[in-house]
This record gives sequence, structure tokens and C-alpha cells, in this order.
Amino acid sequence: MQRAIEEAGISTIIIAALPLVVRQNGAPRAVAPLVPMGANAGEPNNKEMQRAIVKDSLKNLVSIETPGEIVSLPYEYV
Amino acid sequence: MSFTVVRGLQSEIFIPTVPPVFWTRVSKSLNEMVVALVTAGGVHLKSDKTFRLAGDSSYRRIPGDAKSDDLMVSHGGYDNTDVNKDINCMFPIDRIKELAREGFIKGVALTHIGFMGGGGNIAAFTEITGPEIAGELVEQNVDAVLMTAG
Repeated sequence: MQRAIEEAGISTIIIAALPLVVRQNGAPRAVAPLVPMGANAGEPNNKEMQRAIVKDSLKNLVSIETPGEIVSLPYEYV
Repeated sequence: MSFTVVRGLQSEIFIPTVPPVFWTRVSKSLNEMVVALVTAGGVHLKSDKTFRLAGDSSYRRIPGDAKSDDLMVSHGGYDNTDVNKDINCMFPIDRIKELAREGFIKGVALTHIGFMGGGGNIAAFTEITGPEIAGELVEQNVDAVLMTAG
């Protein structure tokens, strides 16, 4: 899906709980906080963590220059 | 020195391959971008049709100004406990609205997209659903997409 959108001319970034799967699928840009599948954008009701993850994801959308790069984000919810 | 050539010879060892790259260069700064959310997490309006949990390659439109309380998840492929407590942990719609209000991004897309990833009819996703969703996003002049999946 991410690839289809990118192919259509829109820059994309994915917040991944499973970065290895995302790499295998050929995601153009990805960030990976330490989160379980289903809470990719952070702990439920933790606005600060969610906000930081969303903000950092968007910053990485701009800063990632290599296709396929996955940047770890320093947030943990397990 | 001569070599023996065997055409079509393949290794017995499965070696995963990474598909070819798609890449759209970022040409604007964040405060000039309209951002859409796209999730494979099965998010949709409570008033909308639920996804078929055994496999569903359709997608749902989610208005950019939708309230988080009006959203729900139908997805059979992951533990829904967290997202049932707070939809923002898979679909950060309130967070992206806040960032638009603060001017960190220019705005929120008129329509976000939810679908049910994690398998199903991959050919339908690749050949039909993916291009349809991409087309909708292009039509509404979205500059960037933030995805949650995987």
C-alpha cells in the first residue's frame, strides 16, 4: 500500500511495530518505536508519547534520504 | 578457461528478495504539507460497514475532522485491546489535528483511509485497492502520508 501511494507521487512514511516485515515488503521510509503490533503510534491514552512518535515520524519523512531506511525511535511501550 | 553454463539454475536455499524501490522525493517543508493518515489497522467510522475479519480487500474513508470517539476497529489479525482503549495508538487522528493547529504541518487531509491489512487477497490489494487509495489521495492533493501498519 505504501509503495502504491509512493508510486503515485506522494511521499510516505510508516510507523512499524515489525520493522523486519516492513523491510521485506519494500517500504520506502519507516520508523520503528519499541511498540507491540496494534499500538504503533504509542501507548493508549499516553498523549505525550503518541505526539512524540507522530512528530518524529514526520521529521524522518523529510530527513530520510535513502529508500528502505528504517529509523529506530526512542520510545518504548511493551 | 571455459565455464559450464546451466540456464535457469536456481539455489535450493530460499533467499528472500526485496521488491524494487518506489521513491517520491520530499519537496516541501512540513509546515507546507497537508498530511493524510492511512492505516492497515482496520480503522473505520462506527457508522460504516465493518471489515470481514476472514479477509477483506476493501477500504473505508475517514473524514479528516472525524472525532476519535466516532471511530472503531474491525481487524482479526492483531490484539485490539490497546486500540479499543484509545484509537489514537493505531490511528493518531487527534495528534495530527493538534500538530496542524500548532502549525507544525499545514493541514490535515479531508479524508484519511483505513483498510484491513495483514494478509488476505494480496493480488487485489496490489492491483486494485492500492492504486484506488493512492488515486484518492492524489485527487485531494495530499502532500504526505503517515501510515501505521506492520
